Amino acid sequence: MEREVLVKVKDLEVTFGEHRKKYVAVKKANFEIYKGETFGLVGESGSGKTTIGRAIMRIIPTSGGEIYYKGEKINGKISRELDRRVIKEIQMIFQDPQASLNERAKVDYIVSEGLMNIQKGISEKERKAKVEQALLDVGLLPEFMSRFPHEFSGGQRQRIGIARALIMEPDFIIADEPISALDVSIRAQVLNLLSDMQKKRQITYLFIAHDLSVMRYITDRIAVIHKGEIVEMAETEELITHAVHPYTKALLSAIPMPDPQYERQKKLLVYNPAIHCYEIDKPEWREIRPGHFVWANEEETARYQAEMQQA
Amino acid sequence: MEQKKILSVKDLEIKFHLRGKTLNAIRGVSLDLYKGEILAIVGESGSGKSVFTKSFMGLLDVNGFISKGDILYSGCDDGKTVNLAQLKKEKQWLKIRGHEIAMIMQDPMTSLNPLKTIGAQIVEAITLHQNLKGNAAREKAIEYLKDVGIPYPEKRFSQYPHEFSGGMRQRVVIAIAVACNPQILICDEPTTALDVTIQAQILSLLKEMREKYKLSIIMITHDLGVVANIADRIAVMYAGDIIEIGTSEDIFYDPRHPYTWALLSSLPQIGVKGEELFSIQGTPPNLFMEIQGDAFAPRNPQALKIDFVKRPPYFEVSPTHRAKTWLLDPRAPKVSPPPVVEKIRNGGIR
Repeated sequence: MEREVLVKVKDLEVTFGEHRKKYVAVKKANFEIYKGETFGLVGESGSGKTTIGRAIMRIIPTSGGEIYYKGEKINGKISRELDRRVIKEIQMIFQDPQASLNERAKVDYIVSEGLMNIQKGISEKERKAKVEQALLDVGLLPEFMSRFPHEFSGGQRQRIGIARALIMEPDFIIADEPISALDVSIRAQVLNLLSDMQKKRQITYLFIAHDLSVMRYITDRIAVIHKGEIVEMAETEELITHAVHPYTKALLSAIPMPDPQYERQKKLLVYNPAIHCYEIDKPEWREIRPGHFVWANEEETARYQAEMQQA
Repeated sequence: MEQKKILSVKDLEIKFHLRGKTLNAIRGVSLDLYKGEILAIVGESGSGKSVFTKSFMGLLDVNGFISKGDILYSGCDDGKTVNLAQLKKEKQWLKIRGHEIAMIMQDPMTSLNPLKTIGAQIVEAITLHQNLKGNAAREKAIEYLKDVGIPYPEKRFSQYPHEFSGGMRQRVVIAIAVACNPQILICDEPTTALDVTIQAQILSLLKEMREKYKLSIIMITHDLGVVANIADRIAVMYAGDIIEIGTSEDIFYDPRHPYTWALLSSLPQIGVKGEELFSIQGTPPNLFMEIQGDAFAPRNPQALKIDFVKRPPYFEVSPTHRAKTWLLDPRAPKVSPPPVVEKIRNGGIR
């Protein structure tokens, strides 16, 4: 069965600065996100994972390649009509609920700000009703509308951030490290809320995080990004059980497991980019198994495939 | 083998005066720290884990005070035991801070001085605590930089904190702490602000430092997943009380307190895709009020009647393992731990 592609990123390149100060943050990124799935982007800080998320949100201009949303190109210059549609349909949830909510606005305003921009003529009654519903959806009480963000705990704030995204009835949500700043017990609540919303409304997620253990739980497919380059991409279980790229392996070995005996004998792998010799034999984006892509050259591909056969 | 106790906390109570009310932050905690061990203190934010360890260094906020109990420190060179709970003067504390007990904070950016080179900051600790000056101090500082795994230490010595990445900065902070030549190192969420790969490296660095400098380490974290790697013993803290303590094996393979069960069950590492992840209902209790019975009872769906009435004492599971729950009382009904515990014990998550 052919799955519907919601977002397609083709040869995406993002650079900051110009001329001598030019810095390429994302190099030739390629991936597709299917409708209704949760796609994960994993990498260390500085790898460019947030930059990709923001480029899709159109907060950061792209310098090369294309981003398609529902088959239409959305980077660069686009029509006003498409612009409004994209603003409504793609929403973002941020990492730090302390920093991403306006301290001086009440929850009522924070949650409905986007709505007021898109539906200019919305009546006060309708707006209030929508905010109430959005708050109820994320497990908050409608009474909270008249409160300020500082009156809430970290988990509740993150729920307000999610309510703000949901009220727009988006098709696609970019969640940038939505649980990294939260306590362990609250993480579980927010993760459950996100997957609940997905089931009820068929929302597609792009989930950005540095922690593969969370990714394993929530995503369907994962792309691993290192220094602006996507090095490996596969379905979540395939990636975790049959990782071939040394960087993915290093990330996997770093996942802390709640098992002391296993942890004590675990060997930590450290990724050294110098092991690749890409001088003559140039690397490419290769599919080494159906749905399993890796950034490798000819020699490496052969080695990775042999490795997979053994496993 | 009898291990030497270096720090012994007895029935400690810490209170805060806040807007005319009294907050009971620490409610009668006893804890022993042995020489050379790594003890992890795990709890949610607001459970009092940071306040508890700050009291060992006299770093409580001005409205906080120790209302009861002792903190006996016996690591001094002269072999005498000092009761840290009785220290009042800043001058007395200066002998303890850094020299006996050092601390590493969560965020390496805020704990380093951005206007001084990292070399100067390490030298400062060395001159103050090791009586070395000039070139000798510099040599020593470079040695510490090498120890914590910073490449090109001579060059890095004269660089500023902004020239370092987050992981490298945390290494520098560790170097400064170790340069004080302490007996006890308190690490307050040392890896929370770092990437997973860097986190693993910092944890193994701390283990190395423990061996090399014969440190006793207290590690504070909210993430049970992290401590399996590093801790010899684990204390689980909830609402200002240690509700369960034992070796790593005790806590992960044979946990007894419902709160420990809940913490383990909510780890995403254990979650099965497509299934709802366990989450603890409700919020931690209000510490302004007197807590009746077991503090976790209101959030525990399987709480017993007595949990709401009487505070449980410690029940001993084994010589190394104690828990404060009425479930361990011989008269209690049998409540079996959640399936997650069985899964961890059988290595089902490897």
